[in-house]
Amino acid sequence: MSVWEKLTAVPREVVMTLVVLAMIIPAIRPLGLPILTGDMSRAWYNTVEQLPEGSVVLFDIGYGSGGYPSLGPGNIAAFHQMFEKNLKLVIMATALEGTMMYPLIMEEVKPEENYGAVYGEDYVFLGYIAGEQTAMAGVLGDLKSLVSTDYQGTPISQLPLLENINGADDFALVAYLTTAGGVAEGWVYQAYSQYNKPLLGGCLSMMTTSIKPYYDSGQLLGLMDGIKGAADLEFLTGHPGDAIVSSDILSFTQTLVLVFIAIGNISFWMTRKTKEEES
Amino acid sequence: MDYKRDLPLAITFIVGIIAVLDYYTGVQAITDTFTIIKNWGVVLQGFALGLGAVNLFRVHGRRISQRREGSDWLFSGWLLLMLTVFVVVGLSTGQYDQGPTYSWLYNAIYLPLGSTMYSSLAFYMAYGAYKVLRARNFEAGLLFITAILVILGNTPVFPAIYPGFFHMREWIFGPIVSGAYRGVRIGIGIGAVILGIRTLLGMETGYLGRR
Repeated sequence: MSVWEKLTAVPREVVMTLVVLAMIIPAIRPLGLPILTGDMSRAWYNTVEQLPEGSVVLFDIGYGSGGYPSLGPGNIAAFHQMFEKNLKLVIMATALEGTMMYPLIMEEVKPEENYGAVYGEDYVFLGYIAGEQTAMAGVLGDLKSLVSTDYQGTPISQLPLLENINGADDFALVAYLTTAGGVAEGWVYQAYSQYNKPLLGGCLSMMTTSIKPYYDSGQLLGLMDGIKGAADLEFLTGHPGDAIVSSDILSFTQTLVLVFIAIGNISFWMTRKTKEEES
Repeated sequence: MDYKRDLPLAITFIVGIIAVLDYYTGVQAITDTFTIIKNWGVVLQGFALGLGAVNLFRVHGRRISQRREGSDWLFSGWLLLMLTVFVVVGLSTGQYDQGPTYSWLYNAIYLPLGSTMYSSLAFYMAYGAYKVLRARNFEAGLLFITAILVILGNTPVFPAIYPGFFHMREWIFGPIVSGAYRGVRIGIGIGAVILGIRTLLGMETGYLGRR
């Protein structure tokens, strides 16, 4: 077997071991590379910045443990910006595990400690609402007929923030982060198409191609695309976190992928050339 | 009259018509009726979760009792055990998933496992890119060049060296990807409208579990 043939068949174990190393090295010694923010994340940031103080935002935590590494940091940065702007947050979850993500996010954001926010007055958590698009339609249509308590079981009549909130007309903005394509598009149908609400979306990087057309058409005012979008938002909001740290890891691993793609292609063409010459 | 077939079709027709009328007419009485239906939908979906759990017990309970070779019945046992543990812990504390024990179970076991499952994709994608992304012919060459440009634009280190990589990635995501995908979406949209009309008219019965 020639050198080129050997290079076309590097064992899986070798590739994966090198990927592990490419993840560990920058985690131990970060490079601190500059962040070049994308227009989708900048649009997200600017949309929130332009909201008047006290505006009510409906925010959907539509991901679970699998999506947390990609979307969690962006969620934290988004909440930091919203609390900093004194926006009011009505938080719900279209993902079953969203209820478990909420405390993880709030542990990092610390709204009471960092922003003097008060639960019930400045933000509420409605918990998981089953049904995806049916849930969205219900919350935007007639919130109080759908939800009678918050996630802790407190009647919504005892939550001052919800006193004057009945549905879509009372939300200045709808925002979501999700790992589910149906939820990402569902919010476009239910919030934008039905009520013409300003809408921000966030999804995994691999979903960007399918969701970005909604951004290009103006149905989504901003789009946070996975960990890259999260790093952008951390940078823009001035709250560096896990996503910016991940940027260096991303640089190392993707450079390694490029190297392997180059090795694979060069060896493939050289092997083909050698075989053609032999025949 | 086939009640198993005709009754669900009639319900679908009535609910569908109310939904359509609500969207196009905005008459308050219809909106109110549809709000009630939407709320019923949420409640039904909640029940569906419970039904799903019952079904899990049925399917995996059968696998455990049969213990067929190669059926991984031990995993079924583990699934049911963990399902029971989470339910019992959640209900026994009266705090559901906000109790400290439940949170610990979730944060210490499920969260890292879930994140690991997703993160392991990185390894397979790296290996897959090495094995599959090869410029074998013209079409594959186009895909290859596009993929390389997107990776270059998406990897923070390269735009830091040459910002043009980032703008190239943005351009690919713009006119090329969005343009193509919009065509796909329009096709899907037209298909969805046709499917909706067929469902309303009772010509589509796939959702009833029959052909």
